[in-house]
Amino acid sequence: MKGFLEYVPGDTPLHRLNPLTKLLLSLLICASCFVSGYHLFSVGIIILNLLMAASAGILRRAAVMLASLAKLSLVLFLIQVLCVRQGTPLLTLPLGLIITDRGVSFSLLIVLRLIAATLPLALMLSVTQLSDLSGALVDRVGVPYLYAFALTTAIRFIPVFAGEMSGIMEAQTARGVEFDSHNPFKKIRLILPLCVPLLISSVQRIEGSALSAQLRGFNLRRRHSGYKRYPFRITDLASLLAGAALIALAACI
Amino acid sequence: MIQFDHVCFGYDGLQSTLEDISFHVAAGEFVAVAGSNGAGKSTLAKLVNGLARPTAGRVVTGGMDTRKAHTSVLARSVGFLFQNPDRQICQNTVREEIQFGLTLRGFDPKETHARCQEVLDDFGFDGNAAPFSLSRGERQRLALASLLALRPRLLILDEPTTGLDYRECTHIMQIVRRQNCQGATVLMISHDMEIVQDYADRVLVLHEGRLLGDGPARRVLADRELLAQASLLPPQIADLALRLGEGFEGVFTAEEMVGRIEGRRSA
Repeated sequence: MKGFLEYVPGDTPLHRLNPLTKLLLSLLICASCFVSGYHLFSVGIIILNLLMAASAGILRRAAVMLASLAKLSLVLFLIQVLCVRQGTPLLTLPLGLIITDRGVSFSLLIVLRLIAATLPLALMLSVTQLSDLSGALVDRVGVPYLYAFALTTAIRFIPVFAGEMSGIMEAQTARGVEFDSHNPFKKIRLILPLCVPLLISSVQRIEGSALSAQLRGFNLRRRHSGYKRYPFRITDLASLLAGAALIALAACI
Repeated sequence: MIQFDHVCFGYDGLQSTLEDISFHVAAGEFVAVAGSNGAGKSTLAKLVNGLARPTAGRVVTGGMDTRKAHTSVLARSVGFLFQNPDRQICQNTVREEIQFGLTLRGFDPKETHARCQEVLDDFGFDGNAAPFSLSRGERQRLALASLLALRPRLLILDEPTTGLDYRECTHIMQIVRRQNCQGATVLMISHDMEIVQDYADRVLVLHEGRLLGDGPARRVLADRELLAQASLLPPQIADLALRLGEGFEGVFTAEEMVGRIEGRRSA
């Protein structure tokens, strides 16, 4: 999922929406997954996400994200399905473990919700420049710039830290640490000592960024310092209405 | 020791970072890979120890095909020094940091202690010091020390002197040269042509993922046209000799330049 939170430039209708609309729309789509208790509704939301990604020209990225989430979901499903003991047993396993029909149904719903709720937020970040998101939060909502900046910086740092972690893992593999092992449990055990270099580099990077921002007059910035305005258009209203309709649909079925 | 056969590589299988690279490095050689930023030097280094796998062609390191061997297995004979030592350091003391690789490799405690002490004495480190309290140059030396404790047959150095002052830079490179004299093969990635001139016997010139030149350092670094193609400048002494022209052909070091000038003066 390398670069999955990076902005993809474009001029599609989705790109042109107000950043706040995109944020709200993605939250509404996420919420609809949890309002509805139907598996098919979550499947429908996943398809809707893919259609939206296709319309924004990022279908390939969405497909990669979907594949990665599916792998994670498989692990989650296996853990979850063994934890639910209510319902009719379908399979009896050693160590007193059982798989029930309710367990399968509930676990499937959980992972479908996970995928359907994660995709819209990731897609929103792919079609929104983080500077626009903080700008819109300041301009339209009146959030102090300090907080808007903190929020977007936290998001911006996710791929940076992921890249740093990847570099650290490469360096450790080159030393002989078996990160290229196919055993996930072994990998998890090996990752723990790497928290030290990651923490050190993160603190260094954050300190450097903070200093750099202060030297460029960060503290002088006020609500109207940004020259860009973020007006709401008819397409924004239509998108939010569509999101609200989705919630209503999820509640009705 | 290293064999590249028509190697191509592209990240995510998309753009081509390296195209049709072929060369051979024999045991005991000191080879520098020179090129401007984005030429593919670090990618080439990662291909040698299996951190990257060729999309076409074949890379053989120490007799092992890197597509079939795990990097952690190749690491038994290949030491890789990264540009940023902080990615390699992960222990609380200098001693633990040096012992880390030895323990991973399964050496018994006695051997681990002996090798660690030898490296500590050699590099003049305080074993109880905290690695992240050391200076940038010292951390780079610690990363190198941790590698050398494992006595690798092949050393890959990715921009080993970036961000170091002259004294630290010389210190690191003297250690590398000593290892080379003791039989280790060295593949050094660098865009510092002075370092390349001072230490490498052979130079590979990369530009936009293609191998433009491969030959003895003395010949490659005096080839102004080749270096210009790769957006590189010759080292200062070689550049001066090229500019002076007649009577200064083949001058490569400061000593040679002084000798040539004194020869002309006495004549």
